[in-house]
Amino acid sequence: MSPATISFGRASAAPEEHFPSAAAAPFRKVLVANRGEIAVRVIRTLRAMGIASVAIHHPVEARAKHVRLADEAVEITGQTPVAAHLDGAQIVEAALRAGADAVHPGYGFLSENAGFARRVAEAGLVFIGPDADTIALMGDKISARDFAAAHGVPVAPSVMPTGDLDAFAAAAAAIGFPLLIKAAAGGGGKGMSIVRAAGDLAEAARIAASEAERYFGDGRVYAEVYVERPRHIEVQVLGDGAGGAIHLFERECSVQRRFQKIIEEAPAANLPEETRAAICEAAVRLAASARYKNAGTVEFILGADGRFFFLEMNTRLQVEHPVTEMITGLDLVRAQIEIAATGRLPLAQAAVRARGHALECRVCAEDPEHDFLPETGAVLCLEVPQAPWLRFENALDEGQKVTADFDPMLAKLVVHGDDRAAAIDRGVAALGALALLGVRTNIDYLAAVLDHPAFRAGDLHTGFVAEHAAALATLPPDSATRDRVLLAAALGLREVRELVEGVPEPHALIGHWRN
Amino acid sequence: MAVKLTLAGETHEIEIVRRRPHLVVRIDGRLHEVADLGATGAGPGAIAVDGEPVPFVRAESLGTTFVRLAGRSFEVRYVDPRDAAEAGSGGRDEIHAPMPGAVVSVHKVAGEAVTRGETVITIESMKLQTALVAPRDGVVGAVLKQEGETFEKDEIVVRLEAIAGDA
Repeated sequence: MSPATISFGRASAAPEEHFPSAAAAPFRKVLVANRGEIAVRVIRTLRAMGIASVAIHHPVEARAKHVRLADEAVEITGQTPVAAHLDGAQIVEAALRAGADAVHPGYGFLSENAGFARRVAEAGLVFIGPDADTIALMGDKISARDFAAAHGVPVAPSVMPTGDLDAFAAAAAAIGFPLLIKAAAGGGGKGMSIVRAAGDLAEAARIAASEAERYFGDGRVYAEVYVERPRHIEVQVLGDGAGGAIHLFERECSVQRRFQKIIEEAPAANLPEETRAAICEAAVRLAASARYKNAGTVEFILGADGRFFFLEMNTRLQVEHPVTEMITGLDLVRAQIEIAATGRLPLAQAAVRARGHALECRVCAEDPEHDFLPETGAVLCLEVPQAPWLRFENALDEGQKVTADFDPMLAKLVVHGDDRAAAIDRGVAALGALALLGVRTNIDYLAAVLDHPAFRAGDLHTGFVAEHAAALATLPPDSATRDRVLLAAALGLREVRELVEGVPEPHALIGHWRN
Repeated sequence: MAVKLTLAGETHEIEIVRRRPHLVVRIDGRLHEVADLGATGAGPGAIAVDGEPVPFVRAESLGTTFVRLAGRSFEVRYVDPRDAAEAGSGGRDEIHAPMPGAVVSVHKVAGEAVTRGETVITIESMKLQTALVAPRDGVVGAVLKQEGETFEKDEIVVRLEAIAGDA
């Protein structure tokens, strides 16, 4: 793999995808109830399907890329930009005003809000996702877990929440340690912690309950057995809402920090074929039993012993959906739209094929040298490598400020290769060729993770980044590289150029008295 | 004439040894010939150092030059010779916000004693809570940000009373 096969370019379009085109556009106009890269990505498919798109935006993002790309845009207001994007009533109103006939929620924000799905339906619009009851069922970890257990999907031993934190702690301690404490209504790692000793349990439960109350308005927490060296394996499913469901294979998202995924891949590394079949089969069983409608993801935890347990079901498009698209050649947004419009699956299980291996790296504004604290700045310069096997999912503009208003994820770099080793080589090369200057990012860290021997070997578990923290730490550059960096920087400065080019010799020499 | 730059917290000097026929500089004692100075400005560029082409991407803002070179990103600051001495150490009497965000809870009030490492204030940024701890043993002088208030990166959120005897 030579980086020479990558060329620089200013644009960042995804490669053309080849999917069978729908006979007729199932909707006339769709409002995208989101922003950033996912809004841009949804609008791309809407355009390909001949459907008009409506963007929404807070005043601070009036000139954002998703707004410019959409056929129409509606301003939404709120105390903060995030609050505006969480205001379901206002967004439904915007959809009605724009004359949309459906709403695509993207991921995050209102995508798993049963009240929003209901509100959209009651307004006479189509919610491109499951119905409100299914979202509510899967959105509560406890009801989801009970449903999974009742339908033969393996679940880990656990303790249900009570209003009494002390009683909860006592019951949880009886399972044994280590334990995982989670928010009942949560997601995305908020309100989660691992407890290894009985003495820490009460305090951990109190903190988790307080975080859960803050983020989800529901302070209930529960505890379950914690699997050591666990792998995060999830299955992409499609359901027709009438009990028909298929899977589009699994993804592995074991490389995480603070329960947030940073690198995802499809298929999972070194997964025994019978384990893959069992996990995918369990996911399809869950989706079919729930009469699930839409694209969804069933997440599992997989232990070193091959046992796997249901974690949760995400009733929406996943951040990491492009890796599945790259190995299957399917457009998941198109699949969502077709299912929402027709109630039929776009293809049969037997027609689903996987080819090669895909990796996604989440590029975030954060400082790997300072505990990955979020960073702010501006996108001063963006140079994106171009290749047919590469997608750079983003909504970035040069000159754009990177603020604390939204999530620190800036973009997703997704690569495909004939096999896992080829995909890793391409990922390392593409990250090296990616220049996003003006804000500190984790780009170099992501390359270090991909290039680590344990990652290459597929020796993954959710503690991967902690286990290899020392090897993944940024090393100072060698002196030759450092000198080149100093020269490249210095020769871009007007003061220095004048000094080396414009100033007559004697004047320059005067400077020597400093030394 | 030497140009001073900082990179990763260390100051380096680029000393101009010769200009003709090619620029020759000395950096930390090493001599380099720069045959091609490249174009100025932001974006992709290249210079020739010791006979080798060195491609890079560069951008500059507010005295910091961002350089992408050899697959890594670097931040270089130009030390303006007119600037006075480097900023003093400071910080020991203050708790700075490590990132922009909002205060979730304040655990200490002014006048209360704290020990090094003890949590004084809990903040939230990008949906993550972080405890900010006392940088040393001492007494809280002032809590400058209360629950719900927001702050920028590096803003002082809590001040400790100066240690008796300090000037």
